[in-house]
Amino acid sequence: MAYFIQLVIEGLATGSIYGALALAIVLVNRATGLINFAQGGMAVLSTFVAYGLFQAGAPLPLAILGAVVFAFVLGAALERVLIRPFERGDPDTAVVVTIGLFVLLGGVAAFFFGYEPRQFPSFFGTTTLDLGGVFVSLRSLGTIVVLAVVVVLLQLLFRGTKLGLAMRAVADNPQSASLSGLPVSRLLMIGWGLASVLGVVAGVLVAPQLFVSPGMLDFVLVYALAAAILGGLDSPLGAVVAAWFIGVIENLAGAYIDVIGNDLKIAVPFVVMIIILIVRPQGLFGRKVVVRV
Amino acid sequence: MTLLELEGVTASYGHAEVLHGISFQVGENDAFGILGANGAGKTTTLRAISGMVPTGGRITFDGTDITGFRPDRVAALGIAHVPEGRGTLGDLSVRDNLRVGAYLRTDRKAVAEDIELCLDLFPNLRERVGSNASALSGGEQQMLAISRAIMARPRLILLDEASLGLAPSTAQNVYRAIKRLRSEQGVAMVVVEQNAMLAFSVVDHAIVLETGSTSLAGTRDELLGLDEVRRAYLGG
Amino acid sequence: MSTLTKLSANLWVRIAFGVVVAAVLIVAPLISSKFVNYQLGLIAVFAVAILGLNIVMGYAGQVSLGQSAFLGLGAYIAAYFVTADLPIPDELRLPISLLLCAIIPAAVGLVVALAAARLRGLALAMVTIALPIIGIPLAKRFREFTGGAQGTTVSWLRAPDWTEGILENDQWRYYVVVVIALLMFLLARNLVRGRMGRAFRIVKENEAVAVAMGISPYRYKVMAFTIASMFGGVAGFMYLGIVQYTSPETLSFHTSINMVAAMVIGGSASILGTIFGAIYFVLVPSLANEVNPSLTALFSGAILLAVLFLVPGGVVSLPRRIAQVTRRLARRRGAPAPQYPSDQAPAPATTRPESTEKNEERGKVNDELP
Repeated sequence: MAYFIQLVIEGLATGSIYGALALAIVLVNRATGLINFAQGGMAVLSTFVAYGLFQAGAPLPLAILGAVVFAFVLGAALERVLIRPFERGDPDTAVVVTIGLFVLLGGVAAFFFGYEPRQFPSFFGTTTLDLGGVFVSLRSLGTIVVLAVVVVLLQLLFRGTKLGLAMRAVADNPQSASLSGLPVSRLLMIGWGLASVLGVVAGVLVAPQLFVSPGMLDFVLVYALAAAILGGLDSPLGAVVAAWFIGVIENLAGAYIDVIGNDLKIAVPFVVMIIILIVRPQGLFGRKVVVRV
Repeated sequence: MTLLELEGVTASYGHAEVLHGISFQVGENDAFGILGANGAGKTTTLRAISGMVPTGGRITFDGTDITGFRPDRVAALGIAHVPEGRGTLGDLSVRDNLRVGAYLRTDRKAVAEDIELCLDLFPNLRERVGSNASALSGGEQQMLAISRAIMARPRLILLDEASLGLAPSTAQNVYRAIKRLRSEQGVAMVVVEQNAMLAFSVVDHAIVLETGSTSLAGTRDELLGLDEVRRAYLGG
Repeated sequence: MSTLTKLSANLWVRIAFGVVVAAVLIVAPLISSKFVNYQLGLIAVFAVAILGLNIVMGYAGQVSLGQSAFLGLGAYIAAYFVTADLPIPDELRLPISLLLCAIIPAAVGLVVALAAARLRGLALAMVTIALPIIGIPLAKRFREFTGGAQGTTVSWLRAPDWTEGILENDQWRYYVVVVIALLMFLLARNLVRGRMGRAFRIVKENEAVAVAMGISPYRYKVMAFTIASMFGGVAGFMYLGIVQYTSPETLSFHTSINMVAAMVIGGSASILGTIFGAIYFVLVPSLANEVNPSLTALFSGAILLAVLFLVPGGVVSLPRRIAQVTRRLARRRGAPAPQYPSDQAPAPATTRPESTEKNEERGKVNDELP
């Protein structure tokens, strides 16, 4: 039983990482109407910035803060310069653009830091807690809490602030929003900047475990995409729930179903996702898309 | 006092010019109509004012040359544009739509009062204040769109085809509300309408557009007196 | 430019061109080193793989990020059947393997497509990503068939006895692979120019219109994906022929991504573009690696983005694009420009990469007419 709970908590922790990146993907999709395959790449580059700052002597919290600022600026700049022409156009072209960006950002990271995996300290340290027979690392708990806090903050932002209202309006109908005086260009940049920050949060949280390298978030990205799609692509909450779900079943299937084992467990979320999508193409929480001709 | 002036305004979609030199003036408390058949360029004229299409010529608002200004900049100067198709923010609630309308304002208390004002002007909206705007009927969405424009406390409202897609009685309700708005608030208006009867219930003077150029201009009475107008637009 | 089009329309010119190309293809391996023949063979391999990708992505408009899985599957099938202890006469081993490399991946593709083609565009892309991701651990698992994580080396496709003294192994392999490639290209060309190709194009353009015309988007998407998988499988056979080795790495999802990039850079929805794409795919990374290995990814990403911005139709559309730009510059110098609202919010209804050209004119036009 204790083992089961441990697996679930670890699953929720990995799921939280997927969830942070999935939130970024959903945010970008709602604001600019495209799926950003480079979300992971942006996060990795920003995580490298944290690594670099830390190596240069900055205390960890400050290094992370620096990376957050970098991530925001990177996201905003990329939206304005590279992505703007492709927004709300043919989504397949946009996909290829973000794929190109993904390759480019990986290349930039490799150029400056090489392909050797680098160690990165855990913000939460390495303590393991004993909660009545269940052994859980502080890092795992911390990760779950961070994601929960992020979700709450995002809700507050979008429902309770003027900025959040403006971002929702722009995501809904940018042209109409501009007629009410909303600075659409700036808001789109902020949206991407915010998504990028979510990405670096994922990167910094998972770096101690995966080691920082250009390909560090490749798998996480694929899971995050799966979670976002499963959650319905326009539901932030759906993405997080789906991400947690994926993390947990991956762990449980790997541990309890012998034939799957540790190596094939990565296939489990996909198989489940495919089944769910066949039954419910709009995802668990998405709305049925009616395409008006 | 002239609030809005267009001088020889042209506009294009891609390489096709659709407006060939439109000129008119709107005074501070005027209600000005732009009439004409489908495709005459009425909506394009409003879009040119709001900076939504590439524009030539000159557009002056309250002394400032606003030709080619971005839409949000135009809005910031005090022009509220109710677009064709209403531009409803479907995913947002009715209340949120109104709050978006007041985006540029900083007087929070007055904004809250204005929301109440709009809900008084359009009681249907009050019933649905928490629902998503996409759940509203066509007429309700039109009222919401107009309210959103009012929320900005604009000096000029651009109203594009307010009766489009509405049942005749609903359209009349909408125009009755517009009339009330005029008399109570004294906001200047440019009203684009295919339905000349509805337009004339509100405007003082108007132009009639035909394939991108002005074919007729005059006061309400002058235009109503013309046979062509009566025949073409009033089933005369 | 018009002289070029006039020339290419002339039948005799085309025949002469074809003869020249054929001559080059035939003579090349005889005068080149083993390494060059290896590279040329690889180009043929990936030309077929990218061709399949182009059919499903370029023509039918369905994003596929899993082509490497079919390539790998084909390679493994070939590896198994060529060496397995089965009661098949040796002369038949090769053609049967080739056939199986076409059929089995196509069947897998069919099953996947039947399930996934109903999904909205990006969900379909996700399913295709899942293929390499699931494929790699599966390949590592089934050690008896695949040789596990180390992969299998197969020494086969040797120059047959009757070519003794005339052809070396590498030259023979080149010829086999090029002949297969030519056949596949011919097949693709007929598909694309025929009714199926037109149906694909309509489905890509606008599914609602397709339905109105009696074309079932679902059916054609499934067909396109199955065909692409078949091409991938055949390319896998060819891959094993040239490289003589395969491993789980062959299925890597990076390979899929790079093939998509190569397809776009060469020119999507274009047979000639596919060849440029294959040349890019094989040559550029090895060239870039010689300059500076850590620059390869940087370089590739930058080139892909540059192509998407400047020449969205790929290298194959370069002449057309240059003509377009020259024309526009000439026009600009003539007429006075209207005042454009600068820096606007993005407008809806841009459906082509070509729209970036429109957007370059500083101002985005709303395509809805009054």
